[in-house]
Amino acid sequence: MTTVPTEPILEIKSVSKHFGGLAANSDVSFTMDEGMILGLIGPNGAGKTTLFNCITGYYPPTKGEILFKGGRLNGMTPDQVCKLGMVRTWQKVRPLAKLTVLDNVVVGALVRTGSVKEAREIAREQLHVVKMAHKADFLAGGLPIGERKKLEVARVLATKPDLLLLDEVMGGLNPAESEDIIQLILDIKKRGLTQMVIEHDMKAIMRISDRIVVLNSGEKLAEGAPQEVVSNPEVVTAYLGEAHV
Amino acid sequence: MTIFLQSLLSGVLIGGAYALIGVGLTIIFGVMRIINFAHGDLVMLGMYASYFLFTLGNVDPFVSIVFVFPLLFLFGAILQKTVINKVLNALPQNQILLTIGIGLILSNTMMLLFTSDYRIISTSYSSGSFRLGEISVSTPLLLSFVITAAVTAILYWFLLKTDTGQAIRATAQDRDAAQLMGVNVKRMSVLATGIGAGLAAVAGSLISPTYYIFPQVGQPFTLKAFVIVVLGGMGSVMGATVGGVLIGATESLAGAYISSGLKDLVVYVLFLLILLFKPAGLFGKSRV
Amino acid sequence: MPPTPRNRGLAVLPIVLGIAGVVALAILPKFVESPYALQMMVLFFLAVIQGEAWNLIGGYGGQYSVGHAAYFGIGAYTVIVLLQSRGIAPWWGLFPALLLAVLVAAIVGSITFRLRGPYFVLASIAVAEIFRLAALNWKQLTNGAEGILLSGIPPLVIAGVQITDFSSKVPFYYMGLALAVVTVLVTIWFQGSKLGYYLQAIREDQDAANSLGIPLTFYKNVALMISAFFTAFAGALYGLYVGFIDPQTAVGLDISVQIVLTAIIGGIGTILGPVIGAALLVALSEALRSNALTDLLVGIGIVNPASTIGQFLRDNLSHAHMLIYGVLVALTILYMPDGVLGGIKNQIRKRRARAAAGGAA
Repeated sequence: MTTVPTEPILEIKSVSKHFGGLAANSDVSFTMDEGMILGLIGPNGAGKTTLFNCITGYYPPTKGEILFKGGRLNGMTPDQVCKLGMVRTWQKVRPLAKLTVLDNVVVGALVRTGSVKEAREIAREQLHVVKMAHKADFLAGGLPIGERKKLEVARVLATKPDLLLLDEVMGGLNPAESEDIIQLILDIKKRGLTQMVIEHDMKAIMRISDRIVVLNSGEKLAEGAPQEVVSNPEVVTAYLGEAHV
Repeated sequence: MTIFLQSLLSGVLIGGAYALIGVGLTIIFGVMRIINFAHGDLVMLGMYASYFLFTLGNVDPFVSIVFVFPLLFLFGAILQKTVINKVLNALPQNQILLTIGIGLILSNTMMLLFTSDYRIISTSYSSGSFRLGEISVSTPLLLSFVITAAVTAILYWFLLKTDTGQAIRATAQDRDAAQLMGVNVKRMSVLATGIGAGLAAVAGSLISPTYYIFPQVGQPFTLKAFVIVVLGGMGSVMGATVGGVLIGATESLAGAYISSGLKDLVVYVLFLLILLFKPAGLFGKSRV
Repeated sequence: MPPTPRNRGLAVLPIVLGIAGVVALAILPKFVESPYALQMMVLFFLAVIQGEAWNLIGGYGGQYSVGHAAYFGIGAYTVIVLLQSRGIAPWWGLFPALLLAVLVAAIVGSITFRLRGPYFVLASIAVAEIFRLAALNWKQLTNGAEGILLSGIPPLVIAGVQITDFSSKVPFYYMGLALAVVTVLVTIWFQGSKLGYYLQAIREDQDAANSLGIPLTFYKNVALMISAFFTAFAGALYGLYVGFIDPQTAVGLDISVQIVLTAIIGGIGTILGPVIGAALLVALSEALRSNALTDLLVGIGIVNPASTIGQFLRDNLSHAHMLIYGVLVALTILYMPDGVLGGIKNQIRKRRARAAAGGAA
């Protein structure tokens, strides 16, 4: 257990989300410290994306409390959450298809400025960060999947967040593209941003995460440093055994 | 009290025809997820078909439905195959615009062919009525309600008991799953549009003895059909049946107690309220 | 996928062409006195205003309102009723008219923008129908189905100088032209503004837009209010120009459909799309009304004027513009969903892609 004297940037306190009688999340709690990368793993249907949706304001949690920088997020809408400095990407990428790559990122940047000119400068910087400056004038809808994923990251970076929630940004990518994304995530960390990452690729998640939280059937199964978690027998049977990693 | 019962009864009787219109719309929506904005114009076509069968062939409008249904079924099926089928994957707003366009074509073609003159079918029973205690019951409305009930019963039997009917319901429930299970969803779409058009036209035939018939008569029916379908839950046949009767009654009561000119307005306000507060309809599960 | 270059800011050529076009239109009445030609131009300007106004919320924002007749009717009825029954001059009547339209837009938007896709379209139609039925039934104010015939517009006098007495079409021509130019300029500003970016993001993907910090309803509402403002302005101009309004011609569903059609035929979400759409629609309905189309068909020998078909066309085509609109909507959606401008752009993109592929091979 790392003991940092400062207050955690995100606190999830006994969050539950029910759909009708179905519990997608039940009583999940954990905290994140500033600057860390937290890996959120679990088999399909474990409730990872639901938790993302609860944290970022898409669903109100049925029970529990979410604190971001000490303030309660319950009842806030996604745009309010974004303005506070927390932003998510989508498992199934959602490019603004008929806008150019640059304009996609401009939309993200506009949350911090009213000036389109300034937003465009921010957008160009972020395209540089994800190494897509040369694609600035392409239509986002026509990009291959690897570049769409990077565009998602550039777009959320442009909102100048303190906490990024990345939902399977390596899903569907080839090893070279995944490696690009891993480097990108580590770069972002160096810049002091906090990140929560949902990922299926165990090797990747072990490499980048400072801590890992394992969800199973909507509940938190385990939490700890990467090595601790992978050697936890419960995790092995529930998740790793099934995934053959 | 008499006024109340009187309006309620006329409302329910006319609601039977509304239900048929709504059921037609909901079947089309259920199978293809397309909102048919030309639906009221199909009602109008039914009215004209009955009118001409009556004036030229001396066929009673209530009897004419045995010709009108197959005729408009065919029309709907052809419309689906040649036009609507092309926009199954388009944006919903484009689908709506397309059917609005089809509606304009239908009503304006009728206007060119037969002018915008009002026409009426005067049967021996058109203005007939009999008394039930203090309430007077309109003969054509009662007859039309009885036939509506029979048509609805046949439709339910078809949807619940026949293989084709079950295939249509399966497609409405989940198009992809139905396809995987070997249902020919393309055929079901054609059938559904045919049935929807046929039902709308039959409703038109049934109300033709009590309405003025003119090319633009369909438009209010389109909107009413939406209200009914949204009220009953999009895609639910049972919901549309109940919704039709409810809207008929609401409209009639609003006409009696508020003003006959404003009864449609009341219905549209109700529609907005339902969309906002109960978007899945009174009986549906939440989907929006 | 080839790059699609976007002219950032505005290139010089379109500016020069635009100014030249506006200047030419501004001096046109000095040379053309035919009331018929001026009439056509006024109708064209009115269509441009409505198409551009709808384009802001429908084209850029993807919120297909098929109920803009409500705002058109509010503009027309408020100005005409105030003038006819209270004697309030239209340039004063415009203020309450536009204010009312914007206010109604804010209320309608707050209610209906929670709905998505087809539900929103349906709600927009229902709202417009509510207004039409109100106009039909509130007889003391609107004179119901009979409509209001304007008995005259007071002369416009500024600082003792009479500017115009509205006896010819020329003042309407200039008002239409000025407002059309303003709506185009507003659209140019809008496209490059934060508002425009946000509306386009909302059109492309509401959830993604929301996650990027965009409050959806707020921005949709702002765009709808601007759109309602210009639509009502067009309605007021229309009412004054024609001198007669009734529920069907000022608030009917046909008006809503025409407005949408103007935008989608030219190409939604583009600056020039509604201008092209307006030109096509006005020219077409005029060609129908004046039987020019029949004359053309006869002239090139397709139709024999003495035949039954020729006679039928001559008797009927002049009432057929709604039929033709229906056909146009259907054809546009089926074969050209991006409109004329969008279609051209797609063709260019395809050709470039082919050229690029050819170059690589």
